[in-house]
Amino acid sequence: MHSENYKELPKVNKSGFFEIRMESIGGFGANLAGKILGEAGVLGMGYNGSNFSSYGSEKKGSPVKAFVRLCAPDKEVRVNSPVTEPHILVIFHEEMVRSVSVTQGVGKDSVVVFSTGKSPEEARDYLKLHGGTIHCVDAMKIAVEENTRVNTALLGAICKVSGFIDPDVVKDMIKKNLGKKYSFLIEPNLKTFDRGYNEGVSKYFEPDGKYPLIPFSREGQKTGYFNQNIGGVITTPGNSATKDLSASRSGWVPVLDRSVCTSCGECDITCPDYVMVWGEEKDEKGKERRTLLKYNYQYCKGCLRCVEICKFHALTAAKEYEVDKKIIQDGFTRSK
Amino acid sequence: MATATQEIEKKKETESDQTVDFMSGNEAAALAANQINYHVMGYYPITPSTEIAEYLDEMGANGEHNVNMVPADGEHGAAGICYGATTAGGRVFNATSANGLLFAIEQLPVQSGTRFPMVLNVVCRSVSGPLDIRGDHSDVMSVLNMGWIILMAKDPQAVYDMNIMAVKIGELQDVRLPVIVASDGFFTSHQKRKIQHFTEKKTISDFVGEFQATVTSVDPANPVTIGPYMNDPDQINNKKQLSLAMDAAYAAIPKVFKEYEKISGRRYNVVETYRMEDAEAAMFILNSAADTAMEAVDALRESGKKVGVVYATVIRPFPSREIAAALGKAKVVLVADRADSYGANGGSMTHEVKAALKDEPDNRTLVMSRIYGLGGKDFFREDGITMLELALEAARKGKVDVPYDYIGITPGDPAYKPEQVFKPITKEEATPNIISVAKDEKTGKLTVKGVRQRDLTAMPRRIVQGHGACPGCGIFPNIGTFLKGISGHVVMLWHTGCGMVVTTGYPFTSFRITYIHNLFQNGAATLSGVVEMYKERQRRGEIPKDQDITFVMVTGDGGLDIGLGPALGTAFRNHNLIIIEYDNEGYMNTGNQLSFTTPLGHATSTSNVGSVGKGKKFHHKDSAQLFAAAHIPYVFTATDVHYKDLITKAAKAQYYAKHEGMAFGKLLSVCPLNWRYNDKDGQAVAGAAVDTCFFPLYEVERGITTLNYNPEEKGKKLPVEEWLKMMAKTKHILKPDNKHILQEFQREVDRRWNRIKALSEHPLL
Repeated sequence: MHSENYKELPKVNKSGFFEIRMESIGGFGANLAGKILGEAGVLGMGYNGSNFSSYGSEKKGSPVKAFVRLCAPDKEVRVNSPVTEPHILVIFHEEMVRSVSVTQGVGKDSVVVFSTGKSPEEARDYLKLHGGTIHCVDAMKIAVEENTRVNTALLGAICKVSGFIDPDVVKDMIKKNLGKKYSFLIEPNLKTFDRGYNEGVSKYFEPDGKYPLIPFSREGQKTGYFNQNIGGVITTPGNSATKDLSASRSGWVPVLDRSVCTSCGECDITCPDYVMVWGEEKDEKGKERRTLLKYNYQYCKGCLRCVEICKFHALTAAKEYEVDKKIIQDGFTRSK
Repeated sequence: MATATQEIEKKKETESDQTVDFMSGNEAAALAANQINYHVMGYYPITPSTEIAEYLDEMGANGEHNVNMVPADGEHGAAGICYGATTAGGRVFNATSANGLLFAIEQLPVQSGTRFPMVLNVVCRSVSGPLDIRGDHSDVMSVLNMGWIILMAKDPQAVYDMNIMAVKIGELQDVRLPVIVASDGFFTSHQKRKIQHFTEKKTISDFVGEFQATVTSVDPANPVTIGPYMNDPDQINNKKQLSLAMDAAYAAIPKVFKEYEKISGRRYNVVETYRMEDAEAAMFILNSAADTAMEAVDALRESGKKVGVVYATVIRPFPSREIAAALGKAKVVLVADRADSYGANGGSMTHEVKAALKDEPDNRTLVMSRIYGLGGKDFFREDGITMLELALEAARKGKVDVPYDYIGITPGDPAYKPEQVFKPITKEEATPNIISVAKDEKTGKLTVKGVRQRDLTAMPRRIVQGHGACPGCGIFPNIGTFLKGISGHVVMLWHTGCGMVVTTGYPFTSFRITYIHNLFQNGAATLSGVVEMYKERQRRGEIPKDQDITFVMVTGDGGLDIGLGPALGTAFRNHNLIIIEYDNEGYMNTGNQLSFTTPLGHATSTSNVGSVGKGKKFHHKDSAQLFAAAHIPYVFTATDVHYKDLITKAAKAQYYAKHEGMAFGKLLSVCPLNWRYNDKDGQAVAGAAVDTCFFPLYEVERGITTLNYNPEEKGKKLPVEEWLKMMAKTKHILKPDNKHILQEFQREVDRRWNRIKALSEHPLL
């Protein structure tokens, strides 16, 4: 009872599955991308399979994972655990690499679909990838230009590298998921999908020993039943300040022009992420005044509320990939 | 009336039409409820079961069913709604998880003891605390003794099938018991699998039949007393009847399973076995992990190891005979429990399996217990292999060395010293003396001076950077700005909600000051206890009398639905503390379900818009007026857009909390994700809510109301559509078809506004 779109899976693991893992940020649509791929595989192409996401109480802007498993139609799906050694790994955001060990379990037979403006060579060094194929596609740029989300562009890239997922079936599922309610989004999304399908660049890297293989690991927790505080108490006040939230941005950043800033303090009131760094500076009369020194982009999620509230036009919204990296970097201080 | 057997005799000859789909467990449960077309669902959202109500509401909004969905004030209330509805003679449905189930727990024996059947989906999740939203069985294992039938659904297909069979089983005339369908939170509830469901609703209605009430509370021709006062010698007989009903269910369930097989082609047994024919070592394990365990068995069988798996699809009534038969030949069985029964040296299933084997006089099977997967820790095939190898080793030795242990725990690195990022904030640092509060002895009112936001950037942040809120979240501008008006030491208690979850994900905290979480039924009571202990210890000289702490509780509007009782109790006792409600008009932490503060017509995931659904059906709760009616010294409303007003009110609240008693503040807090507007536009959206007079800025100081900002006087008053058009959640209200909703909303906004204005104008009010 094979569907007309059915093809033998090009490769499967020991358990008989072709597996995809997506490393993403809440709000980028990995969950939906997984659902669309699962539906395309199971309902559109006749495989058996499953799809799920890593759930916590993740909000928009926090790291999440989505998983897709496909197998032969007569095989029962009995695995509920996350994908550890993916055939395709998808990385939704460059900055994630800083906070999440995304390349675990990626070997030379894996394809890494990476949302980046970097070349495959640069990407390999950036990811410190042991080996395997890197497929770079600037999904963020496509999404910003088409006013869509990165997930659709990445779906295009996934289809391309998979060698068996039918792009037309996936496009049908995109249409079905947007439905009548969001029919106005269908056209830009299909265009985003096609651009994602066509605009990527692939390169295979032999495991040449430049970087070690990073196996999947469930270890690495520093606290456990031996040294966790009794009752789960945290005795390191404010330690979330050590986190890097850069990956929460979806393409836009506020840029501060100090020459017109009056340090009125309204941005500081309105910022949900407490990004502004203040100090004392002498005004023209020689009096010490509270002064806005800079933005700490480590915490900025790019909501742009500050740009909206600034009466003095000291803040402007800029596309992050067009902003001088130094501006973002110089903002990096950890306020103690 | 037909007997159970006669009912089951009505057999279908052929399988019915089915549709192949790709669905999660929650979708499958909702679809089954849709197709059963329950009369009433009483519900309260809790992760991971919430989606069931969401999907069902969405289907209802599109006219797919007639289930009357009643949003409760909490799970206890939801259970009450369900109980009442079952007495009134129809089919009733509910879904919950974890602490929701425990909050409802006292209602469970009421439902079973008075013998009103209904179906409750327990989407299993770890019970707090510390709070954990992921899947284990600590909730369902807490309700083994409530008199409910408990079916276990290991995958989305089973969730669908069990939901249909549950109706039939519970309603059998010699059973008449409520039924739980338990599936694994996230592993099953949120995992999409290929499933089949009946194409026609009629297939299901034919299978379950018409609902037949034994008694109803709404039949004046047949008055009945439901739930009398029943002590000894009578109650023991009521319980014997319940026990007999469980016996009847035990006899009937296999028959219902067979009958269902005829229409579905899917076979269920109360106890299922996998490769047990010659197994020397076996595992007993429930639900989704049983699937994974089968993969482990296959892996070990490849190397010739004689292992197998046994699981149950029904645990109440407990199928002891079938379990003993399935496991009796194995030398060793390892019972894997996803919930501990602390101090009992094994989880509940361990002891029940042991008891089942003990009942077979010749049985020699050794039993060992392993606790696994608590708090949602993933169960990999390798974990199954580890457990089976432990059982094999015991089989070889003929004895169990370690009868009870945990699997999957981490000792931690003894050399690890967590980094201290901040020093505690000193009283001096937190008292920059920018703001001053003085009391006018004549009017009794407070005057606040020095609210200068530029200077106030010197106030150290009690909540620091690095929290995981969504971009553009309104909670942190509101609470951050409020705290700028509070001098000195602060201790905070936060209710469960977005603000709490994004600030304290272990091992991180965004709080630089002391912080407590308690579940949102009970935060106000908890902080009352903190304050009273603090004062008592000061009285006893255990804490310096001149040490000054301001105690602040923060709740969402959701926490003031489920936790309203204890919050009002705290107000009635007038403790020295401040309660702040960030009102984002919905249960945003669990995914945008309606709260009682969601305004009329607004779309949420449980007030969907469709061909029939037009958003929320009733008006928003006015919590500020509720607390004003409690006659506490200070009540206010504010929002960060009017930040000077907010800081001023914070300073007043601190004064009142220190000198006179409780202060309550309601802060309008935008939510770009669920109100559906562009992240950057939060200030404009909140500003419009104020300028339409939907959210008037006022205070009630020792009973006297003052309007702090009057858009009418400033010529800024806007019609409500100017606010509604800014958000995608309300755009449908502006369509010509929904004009009546818009008019009704405007009328209510005006009525409440005029009332506040009148209060403000009257010298005594």
